[in-house]
This record gives sequence, C-alpha cells and structure tokens, in this order.
Amino acid sequence: MRCSICDDAAVARSSRSRKLLCSSHFMEAFEDQVAKTLKAGRMIEDGNRIAVALSGGKDSVVLLYVLKKILAGEAVELFAITIDEGIKGYREDTIGYARRISDELEVELKMRSFRDEFGSDLDRIVVGRDEAPCTFCGVLRKSALNRAARDLGATKLATGHNLDDEAQSVMMNYLRGDIEGLLRLSPKRPLPGLVPRIKPLRHIPEKEVALYGILAGVHPEAPECPYAHSSMRFEIRRMMNGLERDHPGTKGSVLRGFEKILKSAEDRPAATPLSSCRICGEPTFRDLCRACHLLGRSR
Amino acid sequence: MRVILPDGETRVMSSGGPLIRDLLEELGINPLEVLVARNGRIVPEEDLAGEEDEIRVIRVVHGG
Repeated sequence: MRCSICDDAAVARSSRSRKLLCSSHFMEAFEDQVAKTLKAGRMIEDGNRIAVALSGGKDSVVLLYVLKKILAGEAVELFAITIDEGIKGYREDTIGYARRISDELEVELKMRSFRDEFGSDLDRIVVGRDEAPCTFCGVLRKSALNRAARDLGATKLATGHNLDDEAQSVMMNYLRGDIEGLLRLSPKRPLPGLVPRIKPLRHIPEKEVALYGILAGVHPEAPECPYAHSSMRFEIRRMMNGLERDHPGTKGSVLRGFEKILKSAEDRPAATPLSSCRICGEPTFRDLCRACHLLGRSR
Repeated sequence: MRVILPDGETRVMSSGGPLIRDLLEELGINPLEVLVARNGRIVPEEDLAGEEDEIRVIRVVHGG
C-alpha cells in the first residue's frame, strides 16, 4: 500500500485524516497535531520553564522527543523529572531508558523517588492494603511530580497522556460517579501550589504515539508493569478498545463530550475551595491530601 | 506464513482472509493494541498478508 501524499510505502492510516501515510508524512502529521494542540490550548507561552514528566515509557519519551523538536528555537526552557516509584524488576529498565534518552536529547533530568518523598518504595507501601497498587502509584506520583516541578521552578508540567488515557480517565470518573474528579481532570484556572499541567498528546491515540516512537527510533523496549492487570483502568482500556474497534471515533467522542461538560461548568464555583493539607502542606480540596489519606497519615 | 506473536511465540499458519486485519481477528488480537511488521517493515493492518510473508505482531498498548 502506498502513501496517499508521496507514493512511498505506507506505514499506517491516520485516525484523523483517514489517509494512508508513509513514515515521513506520518511523523509530519503527528508533529503538526501536537503543535496544533499546544496552540489551541494556549499551553505554552514565551518564558515558560517546562518540566516533562519522564517515566521512561513510550508516551513520556515521545513527548520529550517531540517537544524538544517542536520547541527548538522558542523562548522556553525544557527539563525532565523522573520519579522512581520503587517497583522491583520493572523500574530499573525504564529509569535507565529515561536517563539515556534525556542524555541523547541533551535535556537536564532531575530524579525523585517515593522512598525520599514518602519514606518507602511502592512495593512496600502496597503490602496488606485493600486499594489497588495503581491507586497508590497514581496519587503519590502526581503529588511527587507537582512538588518536584514547583521546587524546581517549573511554570508548566507536561505529561504524556494520550487520547486513550484521557478517554479512560473520563470513563473511570463517570463510572465512579465522581463529577468533582472529572472536572479536576482539566482545571481551567491556575490553582495556588499546583503547577499547571499540560497534555500535548491528548488528542493522539496510544497506537499512533507508539508508532511515532518506533519511527523516530526512540521507542523503549519496556516490560509491562507487574501491577497493571490489577487496575480498573486495565478493564476500562480493554472495553474502550473493543468499542473503538467496533465503533471508530468512540474515544474522540468521549473526550469531546467531556470538553462540552467542562465548558458548561466553567463558571461554576468549586464545591470546596483549595486549601493546604494539614500534614504535608500540599494543595488539596480536603483536610488531608489524597497522598496523606492513602498513606494513613493522621497526626 | 510465519507469525511471531508479542510474547515471542512463533506459529506457522494460513490465514482465512487476505488481510493482516483478518489474521489478527483469527488470533483474537484487537488491531488497536498492536503494530504489525511484514518482512521487517511496519504496514497498515489493511495491507495483505501472503503465504510467504513473515508477520511480526508488536504489542504497543501496555498497562501501568
């Protein structure tokens, strides 16, 4: 099959344009889409110091690579933060790759760990707990990333969330009936103590992020997280991929519907004002932040 | 054709349909979760899979 633009061998049909594309036209379309997302969401301004959350997995590696390429010559600073959650037999490889790719791209990398931030590795934290390991990992990593980005003077925190991740998060909040959580997925106003998060890959399907990584030669050969199968997200992912296969465009519809809800809720005051966690001082809408709540800190 | 699955298992098989998509369906694999290389080059799953081809299925959607 041939590229519909230049007649070279096609590598994929674009989910957006529905055109068959060769390697170079696929990469060009991908980069255009990221640039368009950055512009439409006014995600980056001159003088920004952007922290990229770099796990070493494919999404964050592609994010760092594409931002470095797109923002070359712009008046912004780019650096990376890696959080070592402490997952034996899994994080050694991905953290090694995060170090290697940041070296290759000449981007400064700052390391933080659950052990430093919370006194213990994830592997130890989850022993004997009822909640899924992914709940701890997600909440604690988000907290550690925000603290590190703020302490390192970042004005934006970029994460590698793709269309699949976004659609899954929206569905998870719907299924839990957590409308406050849903609205917090994409805060419209800056909140004190929270470094504004940007998601430049949020309109791109996971499969296309992976393909871009392979074509750019930066796709990590990473093992699967040993905790992945225990999460609700794993079930939602499977369900959403089944729906998308049978009804193409479902994930995009979920995201567009969510954006309409956000717009209609724009002027709605928050149910509870943002305050500081009485244990760790991090921003929270409750008395205790979710990280301290999960860790059972109550002094 | 020779099919190399994401876990490294290799199978020699014939597909019921002419397309890579047909092969994935037979294997119970959702095309949204994999990329496919035919004879070492990534191709769209609507492309053909011939009897002499080597098809490698690469899992790209992981948990975590």
